[in-house]
Amino acid sequence: MTDLLANLGLGFAVALSLQNVTLCFLGCLVGTLIGVLPGVGPIATIAMLLPITFGLDPVGALIMLAGIYYGAQYGGSTTAILVNIPGEATSVVTTLDGHQMARQGRAGVALGIAAIGSFFAGTVATLLIAALGAPLTRLALIFGPAEYFALMVMGLAFAVVLAHGSVLKAVAMILVGILLAAVGTDLETGQERMTFGLAFLTDGIDFSVLAMGLFGVAEILRNLDQTETREIARARIGRLLPSLADLRQAAPATLRGTAIGAILGILPGNGAVLGPFAAYTVEKRLARDPSRFGRGAIEGVAGPESANNAGAQTAFIPLLTLGIPPNAVMALMVGAMTIHGIVPGPGVMTKNPNLFWGMIASMWIGNLMLLVINLPLVGIWVRLLKVPYRLMFPAILMFCSIGIYSINSLPTDVMLIAAFGVFGYGLIKFGFEPAPMLLGFVLGKLMEEYLRRALTLSRGDALVFLERPVSAVLFLVAFTILAAALLPSLRRGRDAVFTEA
Amino acid sequence: MSDASVGARRTRAVVRAPQSFVAGIVLILLGIFGIWAASDLPRGTLGSMGPGMLPHWVAIGVVICGSVLVGAGLLRDGAGLQAFGLRGPLTVVLAILAFALTIRPFAIGSFATPGLGLVVAGPLAVVIGGYATPEARLRELLILALLLTAGCMLLFGDILNLPIPIFPTALIEAASGRIPSRTLLRLGAGGLALAGLALLALQRRSTRRSRTDVARHAMTT
Repeated sequence: MTDLLANLGLGFAVALSLQNVTLCFLGCLVGTLIGVLPGVGPIATIAMLLPITFGLDPVGALIMLAGIYYGAQYGGSTTAILVNIPGEATSVVTTLDGHQMARQGRAGVALGIAAIGSFFAGTVATLLIAALGAPLTRLALIFGPAEYFALMVMGLAFAVVLAHGSVLKAVAMILVGILLAAVGTDLETGQERMTFGLAFLTDGIDFSVLAMGLFGVAEILRNLDQTETREIARARIGRLLPSLADLRQAAPATLRGTAIGAILGILPGNGAVLGPFAAYTVEKRLARDPSRFGRGAIEGVAGPESANNAGAQTAFIPLLTLGIPPNAVMALMVGAMTIHGIVPGPGVMTKNPNLFWGMIASMWIGNLMLLVINLPLVGIWVRLLKVPYRLMFPAILMFCSIGIYSINSLPTDVMLIAAFGVFGYGLIKFGFEPAPMLLGFVLGKLMEEYLRRALTLSRGDALVFLERPVSAVLFLVAFTILAAALLPSLRRGRDAVFTEA
Repeated sequence: MSDASVGARRTRAVVRAPQSFVAGIVLILLGIFGIWAASDLPRGTLGSMGPGMLPHWVAIGVVICGSVLVGAGLLRDGAGLQAFGLRGPLTVVLAILAFALTIRPFAIGSFATPGLGLVVAGPLAVVIGGYATPEARLRELLILALLLTAGCMLLFGDILNLPIPIFPTALIEAASGRIPSRTLLRLGAGGLALAGLALLALQRRSTRRSRTDVARHAMTT
């Protein structure tokens, strides 16, 4: 306990330096901005801004990038409530009751309760990361290659189950991602794989190129197909502070949402996305009068919003302790860390305590900032929504090109984002989801490395994964949830969770 | 893509879920391509895996997934094919290509594109890309392009000092030694911003004169 306090003290000392507070503020501001604007997500933005952080020190760079990430989660809910457009995928559920509240003239209260719930969830999640950091790091040190491989298989299994739509398509996407990760020079033998003699493929496909193509360019192409309808709530925003009765009604939902979101966020395999959906379903089941939901129930805003923010932050746990990125944003964080010569994993905490605890402390400061910058600035965010998409997407296009060019100074990288953009557009049209593919790509290289190492150690005996107890349990979990997802009865339940939104 | 949709329509009685069916075929082709691409790599044994082992088996997995999808498309009713936009993808790809080819000299065989820098590549990307939607208006895009490029020059070149070429190589050579590069950058950005603002002022005045245009504008936003 005293250790924890001492560590947090160190963290706050690092995070409260003028430079880091400024960077945290900038990150939160940019994050909220892109969260508000539909069509620009945190993945494309962080990939775009990666070159900007080259010149910063690693702690400041990561603090800023983390701020963009959770700021986006926060900003997404503002548009969900006011305009009925989810700024981010995770705020889809907030549109249900949040926008109804806005129609009843209670937009301010909805925004307020979302902000308070998120802040509470963020605080709990920060404490959770601080408390779980040390024990999980110790756990990671006894993990061998077999356990790491099993853990990643489990993460991918979760990603399949948590993806929308067909399980089979999600599996296919993960495999395609792993295949793409294999392109380039083989780390162990130095042999070129599937490069077709093309020089720019020798180093493999850069993760930010793939991410920008699939989530920046493809997203633009998809949006161009839809004629936009934006209906900005004309009603007054009203008072922001919820009344005591509102708070009493929302408090249990906030607590439950925080718990659900925090647990799902820790799971490798992008569990954070499911948090808001699960929290909404739970609130509806527990409510005395479920018919209020969808008509402006305050619990329907408080629960999912808390889950959303808690999950966004606990997603850092697998990255910082095990070195395994649970989602695409965390994979970009890996990129930012490696640029500065930091290897993500159990070593971060002992070798770079400044970075580890500084980042954790900055998350709490960031949450406080979001509370302060978000509520008074709501008017500005709403005005930004009036910028028509026909002017927004050429700007995004240009920023993407500049951002990706400055990472490696290679025009071929810029061309590749166009190629992956068209590829991603095709995938969306065929009903595939690009997110599992990106996760497969991220984990592909790591998985191959650990698989090889594990099999070399066991002299080619594949049973090693079942003989070691920890890896056996992880595999068992992976197969159970995959089998469960394929069972017809459970499948219907899973679809219901997604379609209820 | 139109061929695929025509084919699906003709065989509607056989293919019950065209989307899964075509998606499966695409996956099978992708997988076969993967198997072929990794075929010249040594696979090794389980005890010492070669570079070809993982790509080979993963590609086979992709083929299996594709086959099951094709099967599902024949047996179960499902979603039809979605319409593909052509204008959007083509224009956006063109815009990105224009940026990539003009930002710095790029050799294609014996022919090399002139390096024109951000000052040309940026506006090119914005103006060409803007035509991805039928709502595009040239003057509006020009204003956006000029102002954005000026902002990006200051942000990326001046403040952040990223190694991105700003001006055409010929201009930099001519100016080297005579004008400090930073002054040139600021002058250039200022010029672009002024041009953009002048256009904006012109647009304001012309829209004030023709009210109908304003009304149409408001409805499309």
